[in-house]
Amino acid sequence: MLLVPCPNCGPRNSADLRYGGESHARPDPATASPLQWRGYLYLRDNPADWLRETWYCRSGCRRWFTLERNTATNEFRDPPLPGDKRGGKA
Amino acid sequence: MADRPVFESPVVRGYETADSGDLVLADASATTKWLVCASASGAVADRLGAPFGSSSTGAGGVIVLGSRPGEWIVLGTADAVDGAVDGLDAMDPSDHVSALDWTHGRALFRVTGPEAPRMLEKVCSLDWSDPMTPDGAVASASVAKVTCDIARNDVDGTPSYLVFCDRSFGQYLFDALIDAGDEFGLVVGPATGQ
Repeated sequence: MLLVPCPNCGPRNSADLRYGGESHARPDPATASPLQWRGYLYLRDNPADWLRETWYCRSGCRRWFTLERNTATNEFRDPPLPGDKRGGKA
Repeated sequence: MADRPVFESPVVRGYETADSGDLVLADASATTKWLVCASASGAVADRLGAPFGSSSTGAGGVIVLGSRPGEWIVLGTADAVDGAVDGLDAMDPSDHVSALDWTHGRALFRVTGPEAPRMLEKVCSLDWSDPMTPDGAVASASVAKVTCDIARNDVDGTPSYLVFCDRSFGQYLFDALIDAGDEFGLVVGPATGQ
């Protein structure tokens, strides 16, 4: 099981989230060439190393967020800390 | 305010369970429930008083659940909830505030009993032990593969959980909770709400 550190909900089973793929900067539509658009839409780096990627917390906070994950070890680097989210009576 | 439509529960099928037991599942779908969306910090958030992950009980027994960042579920009797959400949209003109009557769109079940945490842990991946989710804690998670909002709302010191889901999943989730509670002697209690 892969525990994904959601910045709002804390560590969650990856089955509770949706993987959004590699996080890439979107090229400027006004100036990007067709080759650049093709690269943005269809090509992935897919490294066996650290990768910045997006996740969607579909069963929890329903927010998109980005994380850095080592695709070889599934380790997360500097995960955002949700703080004490145990809740309770306000 | 216009007449309220007659409420029809999504649970239309019951099951024979034990006559009595310590673990009780009740259909509370008829409870009036509103969804409020606004900035996570601001005048509306201050008035509702339940940050994400927590809950509060206000005037008339209205329960406010901080279900997501910038989202709250308000539930209680119809009149009390009307009072709690009245005027929210006019509190801060710079904020985008919406308040929606969810009563007919969401199923709501209450599970009460000492074994309720163990029962929930069979169908939900969250840790429902006291240190992690004390009374008043609120979370959203998959319950029997259905995305639900769950709030711990103890009754006289006994662990009790409110489980919300989309109305269309109501009967399925009710069935799944009965299945999960069977080994703990679950009984189906009378429907509650108004």
